Amino acid sequence: MSASAVDVRDETVEVWDGRLMLHVKVAGDGPPLVFFHPLPGLAWQPLLDRLAGRHTVFAPEHPGTSPGDPHAIHEVQTFGELLLVYEEAVRGLGLERPAALGHSFGGMVAADLAATFPRLFSKLVLLAPIGLWRDDAPIRLAEMVAGPPEETPGYLFAHPESDAARAVLALPDDPALIPRAVAQGAWNIGCTTKFAWPIADHGLGRRLHRVEVPALVLWGRDDALVPVAYAEEFGRRIPHGRVEVIDDCGHVLQADQPQRTWSAISDFLAESRG
Amino acid sequence: MKVSLFEQVPYRHMPEGFEQRHHSVVTAPYDVVDPERMQESLRSAYAELMHGARAGFDGVCVTEHSQSSYDISPNPDLLAAAIAWTAQAEGLDVAITVLGRSLGKTREPLKIAEEYALLDCVSGGRLIAGFPVGLSYDANLNAALPAIETRERYREHRELILKAWAEPRPFPWNGRFEKYGQVNVWPRPIQQPHPPIWIPGTGSPGTLRDILRHDYAFVYLSWDGPKLVGRQVFDRYWELADEEGRESNPYRLAFLQVVAVAETDERAEREYGKHLEAHYRSGIGAIPHTSMAVPGYAEPAAVEAMLRGGGGHGMLARMKTATYRDIVESQVAIVGSPASVADQIGEFVREFRIGNLLVMLQNGSMPRELTEKNISLFAEEVLPRLRPIWDDEGWENHWWPRAQGTANAAAGAAPGGRA
Repeated sequence: MSASAVDVRDETVEVWDGRLMLHVKVAGDGPPLVFFHPLPGLAWQPLLDRLAGRHTVFAPEHPGTSPGDPHAIHEVQTFGELLLVYEEAVRGLGLERPAALGHSFGGMVAADLAATFPRLFSKLVLLAPIGLWRDDAPIRLAEMVAGPPEETPGYLFAHPESDAARAVLALPDDPALIPRAVAQGAWNIGCTTKFAWPIADHGLGRRLHRVEVPALVLWGRDDALVPVAYAEEFGRRIPHGRVEVIDDCGHVLQADQPQRTWSAISDFLAESRG
Repeated sequence: MKVSLFEQVPYRHMPEGFEQRHHSVVTAPYDVVDPERMQESLRSAYAELMHGARAGFDGVCVTEHSQSSYDISPNPDLLAAAIAWTAQAEGLDVAITVLGRSLGKTREPLKIAEEYALLDCVSGGRLIAGFPVGLSYDANLNAALPAIETRERYREHRELILKAWAEPRPFPWNGRFEKYGQVNVWPRPIQQPHPPIWIPGTGSPGTLRDILRHDYAFVYLSWDGPKLVGRQVFDRYWELADEEGRESNPYRLAFLQVVAVAETDERAEREYGKHLEAHYRSGIGAIPHTSMAVPGYAEPAAVEAMLRGGGGHGMLARMKTATYRDIVESQVAIVGSPASVADQIGEFVREFRIGNLLVMLQNGSMPRELTEKNISLFAEEVLPRLRPIWDDEGWENHWWPRAQGTANAAAGAAPGGRA
């Protein structure tokens, strides 16, 4: 996890009838925004620093991905239960209509929460979410997850050699810490793919019409993991959805094109706020 | 000691250099196959297992793998059923060991309960029921089940199958993964409440404790040979057995060893060398290591321990380029004259207290004629030297089938007939 420019504090919120203590990283000041992380777990990142400059950012850790608490994942049996867990967490944290931003796996979670609970959020930002399926545009999630690690950057980045891309996949400098970090990383992916395996289609496409809040769907033109064809699929299903596609950009938009990604997100979140 | 013939069902004509271009599992391209040679490969496996049963092996043993070129055995009960019936028809008293249907992979656990029960009936109570979790590539890629649920499924399915065999009346099952209104399998195993249960595993402490607490047998299907991991896995097993208050009866441990026997050491190398190399290179050597542990399949502590070097899968990483020398020096395969093979096996069997030995005598491209020679030589020259190994300690093999009478020379005859 890279160092952050803002103070990040750890909170926990008890949900699911006391069976889960969800770990949440919190930073910044301003109207609340909930960040839903992608498959590998929560990594504090420059995008969250920027968001924390304008919002109070709440970034929950998917059950089982918090170090020292691996078996929490077994308390959540289905994707439907996961949505209930997060809905309880939003209420448990005392958040009133926060904005929601989700990336990839987290985009699917945020989108389905917005569809299932139309009044939970105030705005929705989806960065290359999974959750739909087209046979002519397969999402190679299982191939990436079960494939050799050296092929992972090719799925995630248009510019795998950039400093920002390398930072996303960086291992600890101290070699003694690497085995634990790798084991935790693998387990995290086990915890998230539980609800995305082998095809992350829980019927979201039949629910997206229920999304009532303004939504921004942001995609990298060269996304090798979740093809850009899905941008249009989300855009036409979400009633107040707007699609923006960023050129020369892969699946991790905020690493490949941090400036353009931030401009799109911040402009959208600033529009007609309140 | 009991000695069983273990056999996988490889396609025996993999093209040269296959492993440089392809994987042997999940995505192995079927267009390398010549249909006639596939028939021959499959039929040879049936024939060789029967050859082993006739040659005097105590049991025959098969495994399950889907979408694989090295073991074309999507349901080992099919193969086991053919052998069970034929052996009965010929009056052969041979155990049928299925190692087995994968309980973490299946979506139909009651099918396993039914198939195993049927095998036990047809074989006259000679089934050994293997209850493996299933390899990660098979459970999580071929069957596409979420890796993190593999072990939960395994536990539920095992409990359900055992209950389905033992419960006299129909019962409902409201599980996490399976829901049934009336569980009432036909037939039930002849061996009640259940046939002997063998659990294959890689030797993690959690699995070993589970096996010991239930008084099952542990099977180590070694691809590394006894030298590299035997010390570590088996010492741990016997220590845990002691902790769990289980006597050190060698029959609660089974071990698989690849063996090739010829008249002399030199001839063994000449006849088997290239087949062994082909087996390791294009078979298990061509399984990508990432597909053996799809994220979530193994606990984080186990992955960390493995990365820190505690997992000791020494030879596996090098299988793809293994040479004959690597293979025999590591004892991944034990190859040579009957005397040298018997000496090497006898030594580690005694050292690790192995009571049930499985020997794999067909590998990769090895043709039927050579395989049957290997089987015959082993049965005639090696097996008699191994069988008495534990006799002096006087243990009873509680993990061997309790056959009902002798095998029936006429398979359709009424049960209980004495030969």
